[in-house]
Amino acid sequence: MKPQLLVVGGLAVVVALTLSSFLGIFEDKVDFNTQIKPLLNKNCIACHGGVKKASNYSLLFKHEALAPAKSGKLAIVPGDADASELIRRLTLTDHDERMPLEAPPLKPEEIELLRKWIDQGAEWGDHWAYQSVEKPDVPNIGTFWSRLGIVENDELNWAKNEIDHFVLDKLKPEGLKPSPEADKATLIRRVSLDLTGLPPTEKEVADFLADNSPNAYEKVVDRLLASPAYGERWTGMWLDLARYADTKGYERDPGRTIWRYRDWLIKAFNQDKPFDQFTVEQLAGDLLPDPTDDQLVATGFHRNTMTNDEGGTQDEEFRVAAVMDRVNTTWDVWQGTTFGCVQCHTHPYDPFVHEEYYKYLAFFNNARDEDVTTETPTLRFYKKDDSLKVQALNNWLKGHVKQPRQAQEVMKFVRITEPKINSHDFDQYVNASLLDAKFFGVQDGGSGRIKNIDLTGKNRLIMQWGTKAKNAVLTLHQDSPTGPVLLTTPTPGGRDTTMIFALPTVSGHHDLYVTLNSPETPKDWVQIKWVSFQPALPDQPATALGEMDLKLAEILNTRPESTPIMQDGTGDLARKTHIFERGNWLVKGKEVKPDVPKSLPPMAKELPKNRLGLAKWMVSREHPLTARVAVNRFWEQLFGTGIVETVEDVGTQGIPPTHRELLDWLAVDFMETDHWSVKKLLKKIVVSATYRQHSYVSPELLAKDPYNKLLARGPRVRLAAEQVRDQALAVTGLLSNKLYGPSVMPPQPDGIWQSPYSGESWKLSEGEDRYRRALYTYWKRTAPYPSMITFDSPSREFCQLRRLRTNTPLQALVTLNDPVYVEAAQRLAETMTLRGKTPEQQIQAGFRLVMLRDLTPKKLAVLTRLYRNTEAYYRQHPEDAHQLLSCEDATPQLAALTVTANTMLNLDEVITKE
Amino acid sequence: MNKLLKELQEAALQRETRRHFLHTCTTGLGAMALGSTLTSCGFFGSKEEKTALSTSSASGEPMTPRPSQFSPKAKRVIYIHMAGSPSQLELFDYKPELVKYHGKDCPQELLEGKKFAFIRGVPKMLGPQGKFAQHGQSGAWISDYLPHLQTVADEITFIKSMHTDQFNHAPAQLLMHTGAARLGRPSIGSWVTYGLGSENDNLPGFIVLASGGKQPDAGKSVWGSGFLPTVYQGVQCRTDGDPVLYVSDPKGMNRDIRKQTIEAINDINQQQYDDVKDPEILTRISQYEMAFKMQMSVPDAMDIKSEPEYILNAYGVDPNKGSFARNCLLSRRLIERGVRFVQLFDWGWDTHGTSKDGSIETGLRDKCTTSDQAVTALLNDLKQRGLLDETLVVWGGEFGRTPMQENRDGQTLPFMGRDHHLDAFTVWMAGGGVKRGFSYGETDPIGYYAVKDKVHVHDLQATILHLLGFDHSKLTYQFQGRPFRLTDVAGKVVKSVLA
Repeated sequence: MKPQLLVVGGLAVVVALTLSSFLGIFEDKVDFNTQIKPLLNKNCIACHGGVKKASNYSLLFKHEALAPAKSGKLAIVPGDADASELIRRLTLTDHDERMPLEAPPLKPEEIELLRKWIDQGAEWGDHWAYQSVEKPDVPNIGTFWSRLGIVENDELNWAKNEIDHFVLDKLKPEGLKPSPEADKATLIRRVSLDLTGLPPTEKEVADFLADNSPNAYEKVVDRLLASPAYGERWTGMWLDLARYADTKGYERDPGRTIWRYRDWLIKAFNQDKPFDQFTVEQLAGDLLPDPTDDQLVATGFHRNTMTNDEGGTQDEEFRVAAVMDRVNTTWDVWQGTTFGCVQCHTHPYDPFVHEEYYKYLAFFNNARDEDVTTETPTLRFYKKDDSLKVQALNNWLKGHVKQPRQAQEVMKFVRITEPKINSHDFDQYVNASLLDAKFFGVQDGGSGRIKNIDLTGKNRLIMQWGTKAKNAVLTLHQDSPTGPVLLTTPTPGGRDTTMIFALPTVSGHHDLYVTLNSPETPKDWVQIKWVSFQPALPDQPATALGEMDLKLAEILNTRPESTPIMQDGTGDLARKTHIFERGNWLVKGKEVKPDVPKSLPPMAKELPKNRLGLAKWMVSREHPLTARVAVNRFWEQLFGTGIVETVEDVGTQGIPPTHRELLDWLAVDFMETDHWSVKKLLKKIVVSATYRQHSYVSPELLAKDPYNKLLARGPRVRLAAEQVRDQALAVTGLLSNKLYGPSVMPPQPDGIWQSPYSGESWKLSEGEDRYRRALYTYWKRTAPYPSMITFDSPSREFCQLRRLRTNTPLQALVTLNDPVYVEAAQRLAETMTLRGKTPEQQIQAGFRLVMLRDLTPKKLAVLTRLYRNTEAYYRQHPEDAHQLLSCEDATPQLAALTVTANTMLNLDEVITKE
Repeated sequence: MNKLLKELQEAALQRETRRHFLHTCTTGLGAMALGSTLTSCGFFGSKEEKTALSTSSASGEPMTPRPSQFSPKAKRVIYIHMAGSPSQLELFDYKPELVKYHGKDCPQELLEGKKFAFIRGVPKMLGPQGKFAQHGQSGAWISDYLPHLQTVADEITFIKSMHTDQFNHAPAQLLMHTGAARLGRPSIGSWVTYGLGSENDNLPGFIVLASGGKQPDAGKSVWGSGFLPTVYQGVQCRTDGDPVLYVSDPKGMNRDIRKQTIEAINDINQQQYDDVKDPEILTRISQYEMAFKMQMSVPDAMDIKSEPEYILNAYGVDPNKGSFARNCLLSRRLIERGVRFVQLFDWGWDTHGTSKDGSIETGLRDKCTTSDQAVTALLNDLKQRGLLDETLVVWGGEFGRTPMQENRDGQTLPFMGRDHHLDAFTVWMAGGGVKRGFSYGETDPIGYYAVKDKVHVHDLQATILHLLGFDHSKLTYQFQGRPFRLTDVAGKVVKSVLA
């Protein structure tokens, strides 16, 4: 049955091909996206595009390009190149009028192409990445007869899955053939490093070598995907995108406790949380119905923005900077589009207008975090006694509330102390000040206003405040500093005390005024951090405090561990969003409502216009970018280069995909067949024959395809910063496999941390925490772990989409001399002594531990010679051997083996994934 | 057929728009300069594509020296940044009028619509605390805070009309060094080494020396390479421990053994190359050679014990201690060895008046005392060695200080101090192509605003690049879909200060 169908199909293809090429000679239709748009981008758009519209003419959008310019002339008359001003201006000889101005003229063939395009109707095309993604047909491979199974065929024998069909389809026209599969040892090292970030163990290699079953490799892949190290490896990648760090950035760069977000990532990858859900939880977990702790922790993604604690900085400026960073990062990470341009003006090349940036920003602008030093909103993790108190309150509430919602509101405040008003929003200061530009402070006789508070049903004021002042009294007035008194209270003894006060019943919105009477210590500040107006707890007196108020206050005054999360303001706390003129946050233009750009599909009607709706829109089947960008990123991690090399930019300025059909096929397959399963996607790629090729390159192939764009060989790239370290620890048996927890501080040279106005210091971790995987290393933004930076890890101030691999002498110094690597070499040497009698055997064994294969005799000879020379030296200089190994009875043999191991750990093949 | 044609065209376009990382070099740099050195630089289209070796790294010696866009006046830079920002009103910008207002309330019109880092309400004015006199034939105003510098006044161009956009340390330092107030852009030293390469292949092209016990407020980002390849980031040479991280061999390993290990590594890597033909391996071989050379040359450059007694005395250096003075001497040694850009940071110039060390009357005097002799010695030393003509020395902070006494949170402070000020400050330059004994720009009579010949931070940067032979608007790097440059979208060369 099947062969017959194939015959018919094959014939149809032959006919179709003949027809289309026949017609092609006559038609030769110019393609806007691949032929015209790059010409316009290169030569015209700088002056006639999103930034500048010289002569009021732009080539960015079709409607603009076809409209008359300031002169009234039509630049493009579809179907009539001769009548088109554009063509005339390109072909003038007069330098003042000829386009492009002050630049060389276009080449005759380029002008001819434009002319042809206009004559053919000047059809506008959307850039491929902004068109919806459809599943292309998988190209046929092999010969007609071999597909029938009648004859053998190399292509059919080689290909493992659809990926290989697409790759072969591009190789054939170039006259190239794929490379054979890498040897088993190389392959298992490659796939282990790729999927788990760690090299395989000796036993894993031995098992694989011994397994001759047809699915031996697949079994390895499945084991790797199920290993906990898998989650750690992909979390490492995602941390760059999330600009994760353990500090806040800027001047003081103080610590931030957000490692629970890192742990959430590890779990999410290990559970293979589908990428759509993975996306929704990180962008909008807080807006899901009754979010779990995990879903809240996930929103830490966007709490990794920097905050500025430097004295005198304005919170609003840095809040806005953080919101913009969230917009830009969301686009960078999920949409592969640099939206940051649109902050100041319409996108120079891609179809996004200025206003759309702020509509999009409106999705993020409601977040309650406001650059305050306390990092609120945070999710509080009550432990032990405290958690019992919280549980007791929760139980009590359940028995006393009329609607469950009431209890939820109270428990929400207990969990995340929101909603509240930060005191930097107070105004009308008299004898008051925004202390250190952070918190409201007031002195004797002073006052300040809390604007426009809805007091309806709010009989409680919760306030965090503190002072050194003695016997001072704070009063809260309604409507004016001398208006009706709502509350009079003595100030608290300490700092940052959270107190609950009963308020009389008042309805409607009112301005409130705090005033201070402090005659005894008039110059001492009373500092208020935040206030919150809340309904009284159920069954408590409305205008006086009850027993449960005290219990609540007790809970609020505990200091549990916490982690920053996203939380939106509602009601009076919802913000309006305005356009910033030319990106300046101080110059506000017209108000805008949240929406997505017009050049992308609209949000479905049922989606809410908030972050949750936005996230769901991003992962909808109709969205053209999300799946493509994700697939491209995972591909890049495995092959070293993306199908679109510029993973950060799939827009019109990005490098066009090498295998667009493959990208689309993978994207659709990812969404539809695999339901966004990252593990399935990765498996599909690593079991392909394309991935399994060896990475040797012949001079001919190198000349023909220096960057391996056509994939006629396997990937060969230097290990990432994390892998360099993790591998050295793993192959020498030092690596700890402990998962999760606060970041650790392995040995680093003294004097790296020197932030001004910061008392924090590097405290060397104890025990196995010194040997944890690199992703657990404490990450200080202004002084990151030095060897990581040397190997191209970004500083994580902003989201970094692609690490550019460099090759520098400083990297050599790290792997040669960093005590971490010297210790690893020593450990390796100790193992080597146990694994052989002769130096040759020991060296061979050591190399096998590192590279899981034998050294060639020639290389072994080099290392043996090195060993013999150094051993002779250390025999004559035993004190040097003692120093090298920091041990009194160090033998010259062990010292020489340590030197040999140190050499081995520096070999190109060792720090390269082959 | 149609499809094939299209693919071929696509491939051709692809070659043109290819933007591998080093390929995104600049439109402005001479093709002869980069085409031959940055072999993977794809800007020059398909022609150099043939010689390109690798997509994955800075193959082809990104540090090879290359000519600038036009003939430069300066070949190297020593940039002395006084982190925290010294008070121009005590040192250079003499304002006799301000004496009259000393202790009086600041006029309301100077405060309206203004924001300060710490001043609240109405502060008092603070008269100049230095004794000013004119020095040299040029008659430069320099106060008694800097007695040594007075002697070299005729070497210097003062720009007294500097202004900036940022009044907090970290953003202002970032603006000064990277052209943008937010983190993430390449620093000026990175731009310069990216444009010019290095004249010494045994030392990093861009070296940073910090003193004062702290890093600059904006951290390592002020010498970071931002989105430029990391080879261009500043390498911090430290005074304690290894001068460059991990430059020392492990204890118990001598030079000869290290040499043998590197030879073994390179021998085996060469064998690996013969098998797999990955050009990246060749780069790695040369990087290991350079690492070995750096292990010798860095400690050698950093070892000042070989300097004669009179030089140590001239700078006021204690050879056993790290100090700003030592860094000045080191900067001369590095420049001598062909290092392109030496960046000095000295922390502790933030004189708010909240403590004795942070006061105008004591702290600032102390900082001047510990630096004045060394800076002066550096200028003299460079001159005597014939290096000053082609070495540009820049001195300044990230912003200025207010003519008002700071009243942090409305309090009266125990010491004299001035708040951060963005509207007026002084920067000076000497050597490499700037006028000698010249003063440019003026502030108003109390030193509140720069009023004549104002120079913005971006203008200063444009001028420095000009002196090095670059049109600042053309030294660009393609990133995230657009060309970036040090001066963002601004900057004008201050032609009047050019010699």
